[in-house]
Amino acid sequence: MTTLVARNTKKKPSRVLSWIAEHTLLVALGVLFVGPIVFVLLTSFMSSTQTLTASFWPAPWDFNNYGKAFTQVPLALWFGNSALYATLATLFMLVSSVPAAYVLAKIRFRGANLIFLGIIVAMLLPPQVTVVPIYVMWAQLGLTGSLWPLILPNILGDAFSIFLLRQFFLTIPKEYSDAARIDGNGELGVLLRVVVPMAKPGIAAAAIFLFFHSWNDYFGPFLYTSENPLAWPVSYGLATFHGSHGTDWGTTMAVTMLVTLPVVVIFFFAQRTFVEGITLTGVKG
Amino acid sequence: MTATVSTEGRVAKVTRPLRPRTRRLLLVWGMLTPALLGLLVFFVYPLLANVYYSLTSYNLLSPPEWVGFRNYEYLFTKDPRVVTATVNTLWFVVILVPVRIVAALAVAWLLVRAKRGSGFWRTLFYLPALVPPVASVVAFVFLFNPGTGPVNLFLKFFGIKGPLWFNDPALSKPSLVLLGIWVMGDIMIIFLAALLDVPQDQYEAASLDGANGIQKTWYITIPTIVPVLIFAVVTGIISALQYFTESAVASAVASGSAGVVSTNPGSVLGYPGDSLLTYTQWLYVRGFSNFQLGYAAALAVILFVVASVLVGVLLRKVKAFTPEDAS
Amino acid sequence: MKHHFPIRRVGVLTAIATAAALTLSGCTGSSAAVPFADSTPATIEGNVSLWHFFTDREAATIKSVVEDFEKANPKVKVTIHDGQDDEKIAKVIATGGNIDLAISGSTDRVGSFCSSGSFRYLDDVIARDNVDMSQLSETAKSYTSFDGKQCMLPMLADVYGLYYNTDLFAAAGFTEPPKTLSELQAMAMALTTYNPDGSIKTLGFNPLMGSYENVPIHYAPASGATWMENGKSAINSDAWKELMTWQKGFVDAIGYDKLQAFTAGLGDEWSADNAFQTGQLAMNMDGEWRVAFLADQKPDLHYATAPFPVADDHPDLYGGGYTSGTIAGIAKNASNPEAAWALLKYLTLDTDALVKLANGIKNVPTTKDSLASPNLDFPPQFQTFLDVVASPHLATNPATAIGSGNQDTLSTYWEAYQSGAGGDLTEGLAKVDTDIDNSIALSTGP
Repeated sequence: MTTLVARNTKKKPSRVLSWIAEHTLLVALGVLFVGPIVFVLLTSFMSSTQTLTASFWPAPWDFNNYGKAFTQVPLALWFGNSALYATLATLFMLVSSVPAAYVLAKIRFRGANLIFLGIIVAMLLPPQVTVVPIYVMWAQLGLTGSLWPLILPNILGDAFSIFLLRQFFLTIPKEYSDAARIDGNGELGVLLRVVVPMAKPGIAAAAIFLFFHSWNDYFGPFLYTSENPLAWPVSYGLATFHGSHGTDWGTTMAVTMLVTLPVVVIFFFAQRTFVEGITLTGVKG
Repeated sequence: MTATVSTEGRVAKVTRPLRPRTRRLLLVWGMLTPALLGLLVFFVYPLLANVYYSLTSYNLLSPPEWVGFRNYEYLFTKDPRVVTATVNTLWFVVILVPVRIVAALAVAWLLVRAKRGSGFWRTLFYLPALVPPVASVVAFVFLFNPGTGPVNLFLKFFGIKGPLWFNDPALSKPSLVLLGIWVMGDIMIIFLAALLDVPQDQYEAASLDGANGIQKTWYITIPTIVPVLIFAVVTGIISALQYFTESAVASAVASGSAGVVSTNPGSVLGYPGDSLLTYTQWLYVRGFSNFQLGYAAALAVILFVVASVLVGVLLRKVKAFTPEDAS
Repeated sequence: MKHHFPIRRVGVLTAIATAAALTLSGCTGSSAAVPFADSTPATIEGNVSLWHFFTDREAATIKSVVEDFEKANPKVKVTIHDGQDDEKIAKVIATGGNIDLAISGSTDRVGSFCSSGSFRYLDDVIARDNVDMSQLSETAKSYTSFDGKQCMLPMLADVYGLYYNTDLFAAAGFTEPPKTLSELQAMAMALTTYNPDGSIKTLGFNPLMGSYENVPIHYAPASGATWMENGKSAINSDAWKELMTWQKGFVDAIGYDKLQAFTAGLGDEWSADNAFQTGQLAMNMDGEWRVAFLADQKPDLHYATAPFPVADDHPDLYGGGYTSGTIAGIAKNASNPEAAWALLKYLTLDTDALVKLANGIKNVPTTKDSLASPNLDFPPQFQTFLDVVASPHLATNPATAIGSGNQDTLSTYWEAYQSGAGGDLTEGLAKVDTDIDNSIALSTGP
């Protein structure tokens, strides 16, 4: 790579110019893209009066906002609810969706195409298409006002996760599973001893996607938990925070940073898996 | 793996030894059943039930009452805000989707060109897409706050009077487009992968034939990424049709409403001046604020019809969505 | 490989799930509705689930009055859910949640609450227990009933008027509050100050519809504008046009963009940063409760109150204003309706309870006896609101089957109109009427 660039730059002066132009553009765009995060971070260290002034730099640095975030609103409870929602949803999804994806990827049987089609369509259609009957179902079970309507369905599989996992499983050469079958493994054995170990990155990607999806979910908690503040997750709580705390932008930005932090940390630990996951969401297969 | 052994052992003990073929079949269906049940309970049944509800008047308090096509008649001829909501949603489909794709493609193209440090740049441009949507909207409403937000303070520094952004009915949607560009990272990653997949030798061969940059882009790059482009456009449209979180949160935060006492949270939706009222928000208000579930179901049926057409396109055009034989 | 199949985690999972059930499960639960008894029960007992919208300081007052009730009825335990607005209450009732008694902060939804059956009609128990309904004013009875049937009871009344900052008035040489809308605008312009860059620094009065308490219902009494006529929406009237034309002229005199920029930077209405409390607004349309907020959050602000100004050609209307109120009712699925009914009577008809509530949150009491009570303790600024309540020009708005749907439709149009996007006013209001009528038709009967 490096040698290629070096060779090119020596060759033609116009290449040097375009190299400079492209990199200037990159740096300029980079600044624009990082800018919002920097401003949010700086504002989270400003007193509420300072956020309303024309200065960009905290003077003095005020670290109280992060403490205030936990005392003004039940932020710890919100985080607990989000963690519970995202973790349980992810675990339930894995238990139900990995076997299903395995069957759809590795076993020929009548009706497989129809089931796969159903999963694709369920994944692609907007969730609002079915929201009315599903809400009525949960209301009749008396589970509205809690996060269970968002967690429990994962026990019965998640369409997007099944699809993603299946795409990963398809990339595992047939020879491996055949060899395992010859060694006397049943289908469960093939799944657990061959496919799961080889598809670890794929399973991790599916887990991370669902975890993030649940952590970020706003529509679901808005629909099912708005009437019960004890069940609010952070994404919904944050949306109510500004309204009830007026012009206290400093604390609002502190909460915003705190809500974002877990996602960013997980991302940096699993960056490679994550990027592979996105590229596999449906275009390469 | 102990779990496997014990499971199979138990099966063998409890029942008469089954023929391996039957046992395998049972196991396979056992692995598939939860997902199949999920598909029936949370997808197939609700789709059908929704059509039934759309022909009723239903508020959960008393049983659904059959009203025939009254909900549809109202939807198509009398509901004033469904028009606003549809127009706003189509605005996002027509503007937001292409703008995001062009932005993502442009950045991906730049990243392919700048080989040195591409990992760093990739992470940097992807980072905003990670920010939870609610957090990114709250942040943007703060940044673009007309009176005290950094953006307008910055403009003022250059003697420009900043506009009202999220508080101006004419600019609230464009402001959300800016947000959409900021979080284009997910599409960018897909484009990046597709661009990196273009075989380098084709470029070299084209160069030897005397092709210029534009020709190379048109004849080699574009055809290779067309499937990805179709994927991005159609999934983009489907998600624009269900645009909810960003507009709902922007309205709530920009209006500064606590919604605690006299303000009805339903009336904050769409602020300013109904400019951010989207189709799915209207469905929410009708269904879960006013509890006109029958009418909300009718709105959902229309959404289903429109989205189905797009899903049909995806099923035809995207290879990954067509069932291929299991290996 | 072992790390990836969560067999062992399932045990842990079950434990987490069980623990989670406690925090996650709806405190709503489901409950079976119990009907009222035929005769007044000798003793009342059991749990009552009370949902209300008050928060913080006001919620503490409610709690203290509820504790008085529990002391008088030791077999009753009241569970309070505070901070619950109408939308959430409607949701919990519709989904079969456990609400016995609910207090709503506005009368907006009375129509939909009652016509949908979310709340029970009370006429039978009122007759059974010989409740003295003559204690309540006709206005209060009208905004708590639907179709001529009593479905909720008024707990306290809200009355709207004009607040003005006397220090800013003195500085500008004003001694009297404005009495007409023209005076309001002229004084507001004089009280408005600007920054060097032309943006607004402080505002005399904020005419923007949609900001704080600026909603059509609160302005209607200023020109005698009304909502319904013979069951049909009747907003396309001279009275509304007069109000809207005046308001648009006022907005244009300052500039829509300038007002929007200024308003977007203001503190939340319910926070201590309320712009009237910070001195950014010299005059403000607000409810009587602001007196208590000011005493609590900004005790050193010098202010006075007056009835809201009236349209120039309706000087006779001066002294009146808009009223609605806090209302309470028994939910459809109440599992302990008798205890809830006893608590409802206590909160809405007991003189001591009403006086304590009125003194605590500075609302206008709603029964004749409580209004005459010598124990009422109000600051001098509160007198205005008591006078407005006694005025013959006190006005409210009728309940409709679409709740606040008619107000929302008008607000939406008005907000477009003030921005210059409303087109012809007569055509616009005619469309508002049609939209409201269609919407009512969808909600009532097949």
